[in-house]
Amino acid sequence: MAYFHEAALVDSIDDVQFKIYSNTHPKGFIIAKPKYVPSDLINLTGLKKRFLFSKSVFRFNLFNNKEIVKRNLDAIREKFPEYIYKCEKHRNWFLGLPEKKVKKFYDAKNGLQELLKVPIEDLDSYLKATRKMIEILGKAGIPMENLGISHSTLLGNYTPGKSDIDILIFGIGNGWKAIRHLEKSENPSLKWKSGQDWAKYYRDRVVSKAYSEEEYVANMVRKKDDGFIDGNVFSLFCIENENESWYDWEAEHEPLGTVNIKAKVKDAYYSIVRPGYYELEDSAVLEGYKNVPIRRIITWARPFNLQAKEGEHIEACGLLEKFKSEDVEFYQVVMGYFDTYTTDRGEKEYLKALIS
Amino acid sequence: MHFHESSIITTIDGLHCQVYGNQHPDGKILVKPKYIPTNKISSDSLPYRFISGRKMNRLDLWIDKDKLKSYIDAFSKSYSEYIFKSRLHEKSPLFFAVPRKNIERVYSPREGLSDLMSMPGKDLDEHLRTVVELILFLLKSNLKLKDFGVTYSTLMGHYSPNMSDINIVVYGKRKFWDLMEFLDKNGHKDLRWKSYEEWGEFYKKRNRYVIHKKEIYIRNMHRKKSEGFFRKTLFIIFAVENEDEAWFKWGEEKYKRLGVARFKAVVDDNKDSIVRPGCYKISGSKFIDGDTACKGLQISKIVFYSRDYCMLAYPGEKIKASGIVEEVTPKSGKIYHRIVIGYFDSYLNGRRDNEYIKILDD
Repeated sequence: MAYFHEAALVDSIDDVQFKIYSNTHPKGFIIAKPKYVPSDLINLTGLKKRFLFSKSVFRFNLFNNKEIVKRNLDAIREKFPEYIYKCEKHRNWFLGLPEKKVKKFYDAKNGLQELLKVPIEDLDSYLKATRKMIEILGKAGIPMENLGISHSTLLGNYTPGKSDIDILIFGIGNGWKAIRHLEKSENPSLKWKSGQDWAKYYRDRVVSKAYSEEEYVANMVRKKDDGFIDGNVFSLFCIENENESWYDWEAEHEPLGTVNIKAKVKDAYYSIVRPGYYELEDSAVLEGYKNVPIRRIITWARPFNLQAKEGEHIEACGLLEKFKSEDVEFYQVVMGYFDTYTTDRGEKEYLKALIS
Repeated sequence: MHFHESSIITTIDGLHCQVYGNQHPDGKILVKPKYIPTNKISSDSLPYRFISGRKMNRLDLWIDKDKLKSYIDAFSKSYSEYIFKSRLHEKSPLFFAVPRKNIERVYSPREGLSDLMSMPGKDLDEHLRTVVELILFLLKSNLKLKDFGVTYSTLMGHYSPNMSDINIVVYGKRKFWDLMEFLDKNGHKDLRWKSYEEWGEFYKKRNRYVIHKKEIYIRNMHRKKSEGFFRKTLFIIFAVENEDEAWFKWGEEKYKRLGVARFKAVVDDNKDSIVRPGCYKISGSKFIDGDTACKGLQISKIVFYSRDYCMLAYPGEKIKASGIVEEVTPKSGKIYHRIVIGYFDSYLNGRRDNEYIKILDD
């Protein structure tokens, strides 16, 4: 059976295209976000349309006004109830699709191997830039067989100069090799958003009020998983190998309420994947619950990846959970569950390293 | 389900095929493979493309003949299911066909365009906006949206803005001719036809210079209103027969190859010359040269598979044609003779450069 990993694409038998959102899944169900929904299947609101694969499709987007997101999720729930997984262990719901509804899985690793075989002169500027990025990652010491491509880069429905180049790195160790290499790289084809760019982004967009402009810039400018290669935006997605999975779908995740906490990051190794986590020490609950020790911050949203490093002090807001498996029991704070896009908690959640 | 010419079929083993004609044998659809995965066979003589997550060869029938033959031989072995032997032909020409069971998906130009035209303008990129604007202009001809389609890279979504052509399909022969008349009489600020120089460039390709006098060729091509530029993007308009207007029905005739010859004749009717396969009805044919078995035959039709010959000649014009001469035995009716130009196997041998239709100057 295919390894349904984060950032891979699958088509459902209903012709909805999903982007997988996790490396581990509950039995029989794949955690994923609808990416393109044919507009003749269902009427959604407040979403952009695209003409793709010969059809008019909605580009499903959770980053929207939460009333719109609610309405669209209601429409999905009504038409495709099986695309919503109610998890008793989490007392929450997740988007995705039952495994038995998968029509096609797009193989990111194989796609890259195919791309690498195409003579460079037969590639357009976008695919040439993709190849250059792959070369850079190769120089970081990542074997080619541990890399992949996804989304429009894989399917070929990209627009040069506009579409992101989405590259998948398999293996957490390889993911960190890439980040470390890019932190030092002086390749002239690589560009990063400057502090000024991030400040402008902060001023132009609605960024959480939990950050000052200075804090936001300091947190974002050091990230190297998004940048520009020869003028094209690239994004790196680190994918756990199957033997590196850490998430426990059998454990109880009892929600206890929204909390604000402070802590020190003890280990950020898994902060590069989705879902990812930061292991904490010296934590303190500042608001929302009694002061219980928090062992982990779990992140389901990519913006919270690579947000803090070992030894750094952080501040965060998210859902406090009591985690209980067969072996252990502890408290953790979770950010970016699907329900945050439709509730007030989504606007409150943040994670910042106190570094500015 | 009827498979219209110019629809796209993807197969379960990754081929992208262009439906090639409107009449098909039972259980199969005649196609031209357009993109072929390179995992089983590949050729450095063909262009490579990265499409649908695969390295593909783009089948170009105009590469070196020997290299093309090697590739097609390899294709025939690796994709034997896609080679069709026609029982209607005493000796089957090369046909490619997709068995229905191998279809992964059919892309309908009509449905695709209908969806595209329903999209909000703000959600379209430059290429798609150009397509929409072109269609809005063509709709002024009184044809309806359901009479149009869009195909190839625009339909499949792997076009490159500012580089890819726009390929428009018109369903119905009468409608296509009406559209040609409309385009002959109406202009648009964003529309221009190919210049003499641009047709001259086209002439240099595909060995036209071997056959045609440049000036005559360009003059004849220049009168076509099916190819031009809209907002600087090349567009081509194809006619597709409706199901009830096919000029021949698969299975209603049998074909016997008599030889290769050149004839001259006068065009009586060109109304079927806009589709694939296309047809000119002719009279007064005269044998020029070729296999002696063809000498003295009266040719009634010239049939062609290359769109280059669409609308080339008009009734009353004298033409010369070179190709395979066939004896045609209909299920009902009289035996007649025809010349066929552009069977796939003609690209694999010397016939590629010797088969043609051209208008005679006098």
